[in-house]
Amino acid sequence: MGTRILAVEDDERIRTAVKMALEDEGWNVEEAETGEDALEAFARHPTDVVLIDIMLPGVDGFEVCRSIRRTSDVPIVMVTARADTHDVVAGLEAGADDYLTKPFAPKELSARIRALMRRARKPDGGNATMRFGDLEITPDAGVVRRAGTELHLTKTEFRLLCELASSPGRVFSREVLLERVWGYGYFGDGRLVDVHVRRLRTKIEADPANPRHVATVRGLGYKLQG
Amino acid sequence: MSERRRFRKRLARLRPRALGLQSRITLAFALGAMVLSIVLAGTTFALTRANLVSQRESNALSRVYVNANLVKNGARGQDLELIQSQLLPSLQLPAGSRPILRFEDRWLSLTAQLKEETIPASLRETVSSGHAARMTFSLQGRPALAVGVPVPAVEAEYYEIIDLDDLQRTLGSLAISLLGASVFTTLAGAGIGFWAGRRALRPLADVSQAAEAIAGGRLDTRLEATDDPHLGVLANSFNEMAQALQDRIERDARFASDVSHELRSPLMTLSAAVDILETRREDMHERSQAALDLLSAEVRRFSQLVEDLLEISRYDAGAVRLELDEIRLAEFVMQAVRASGNGQSVPVELDSELASVVVQADKRRLARVVANLLDNAQKYADGATAVTLRRVDDLVQIAVEDEGAGIPDDERDIVFERFARGGGAGRRGSGDGVGLGLALVAEHVRLHGGRVWVEEKNPDGSGARFVVELPVLPT
Repeated sequence: MGTRILAVEDDERIRTAVKMALEDEGWNVEEAETGEDALEAFARHPTDVVLIDIMLPGVDGFEVCRSIRRTSDVPIVMVTARADTHDVVAGLEAGADDYLTKPFAPKELSARIRALMRRARKPDGGNATMRFGDLEITPDAGVVRRAGTELHLTKTEFRLLCELASSPGRVFSREVLLERVWGYGYFGDGRLVDVHVRRLRTKIEADPANPRHVATVRGLGYKLQG
Repeated sequence: MSERRRFRKRLARLRPRALGLQSRITLAFALGAMVLSIVLAGTTFALTRANLVSQRESNALSRVYVNANLVKNGARGQDLELIQSQLLPSLQLPAGSRPILRFEDRWLSLTAQLKEETIPASLRETVSSGHAARMTFSLQGRPALAVGVPVPAVEAEYYEIIDLDDLQRTLGSLAISLLGASVFTTLAGAGIGFWAGRRALRPLADVSQAAEAIAGGRLDTRLEATDDPHLGVLANSFNEMAQALQDRIERDARFASDVSHELRSPLMTLSAAVDILETRREDMHERSQAALDLLSAEVRRFSQLVEDLLEISRYDAGAVRLELDEIRLAEFVMQAVRASGNGQSVPVELDSELASVVVQADKRRLARVVANLLDNAQKYADGATAVTLRRVDDLVQIAVEDEGAGIPDDERDIVFERFARGGGAGRRGSGDGVGLGLALVAEHVRLHGGRVWVEEKNPDGSGARFVVELPVLPT
């Protein structure tokens, strides 16, 4: 059985057309019309990727996003009307991994899904477990521990952390992280990196306001340190 | 046109350029003050003068009678020598008053200058006919008063010549004081007029300032409410007008934005449906494939138009916020050219020193600027020939060059207007321009604090060079 995508969209014609186009790309698509339907379908069937339109009647896309995040690290792609509004940041903070603006090409969506489903990069040298102070990362197992306690990271957060961990102390520019984690080129949206770093810090840092591990290098990017 | 109207028109042309309201109020106040002060000064002068002269005359007259009486008593039976040496000096004579006596057909006085001819003939005649008389006249060019009284008891006539010099001086200094007061009053009138004019016109200045602010784009500018009944009406109607204008502009801006939004949903369906058809292109009849190609191209163009409309309506609503990043311009331009649909093979020419130039820019929007300029060159000039980077002091210029027909001088500003395709566009282009590309370039660049213009590339006017100039971030 192939990859299952849950597509949440209230406009029936868009839903139908997107489902058909995604099926052409080889994905299995489950439809949901409302936020409530989406949560129910998500609870009933195992799902690999969720596609959510932010503008839903009733329970909106942000709420669906947050509800799913409470129980799952499944990749979530949200669909927004515009790229330059606060919607994007709000959606990412609600737990989305990436976003697209309407109208998008189904091939573009497929590329996004494939990028999000990639496995985390293994560190150079094949070291099974890496330590940064109280932080312990095991890429193969997909496990991160802080002071012995296992942390729940989304797949994208984990890949971002592993990317930074692949060269500890090295500064990664946002463009490089966008390319390696999300598969974007030079013109990816830097806010993806910024919001994910913020989310990552709330999970792995003892004091997210004064990060010890993921440091910001002003004007250049981010780096991981012990 | 009637004769009369033509005449009036000619009259209007002859009239000097109208003064401003403030100048007219000032002028009116000054004129009023001047007329009033001149009338007052004139009246004051005339009354004072009449008063002083009549007082002087009546003083002189009564004294002359006293002296004449002394003459009457003292002259009887005296000889001329004695009268001249004793009687005349004994008379009551204030300074400036000189006696002259006709006695036994001889004229006696204390100085040789005073002779019969000194006294005006008409006065002499009146006095010799037995009447007292007085007369002002000019004595050696100076004003003087002559008073004559007959003294029939001794068959004599007694005269006094009184200098009026001091009176003249008094009146002269009075005139100067009054003139000074008039000038001062006129100036004060002008001053008050200026002040009153400014005060009266201040509300107008406020209105014009508010109107300028609104014209400059600050649509929420309003006049302050006021208690003054006249100004209140003006302020209210002005504010209502401004509100109506603001509502209208916002409605228009929202409309464009709403329309673009609404178009996104059907476009999403169209885009996905075209994708589905394209996956099955090989199964189609040749004519269906051609139709699909048309459909697919138009959906792309339609999407672009909707996106551009939405973006430009954001500018109209003043809702554009740049996502500013510090970017290395050389790397950015190369990436932008590579990522553009129409310019992947266009060479980027730059000096090595430009590698480190950093600008602050919204990457997505600045990339659109580059892409739109490349698209424009593709549509109207068979593609760009080069993209060059040049540093000019603390500015950096990105130029997109082509070898097309060039753009005539008078169209170089118009090309940046919305939906304006230069006059030659129809000839040159394939007709798939949407007309917003360069308008968006202009808006994006303006918001980045830069300038954009187009110039000829070659001396003969052919070829175009679109130049985007941005400020360099100091390092």
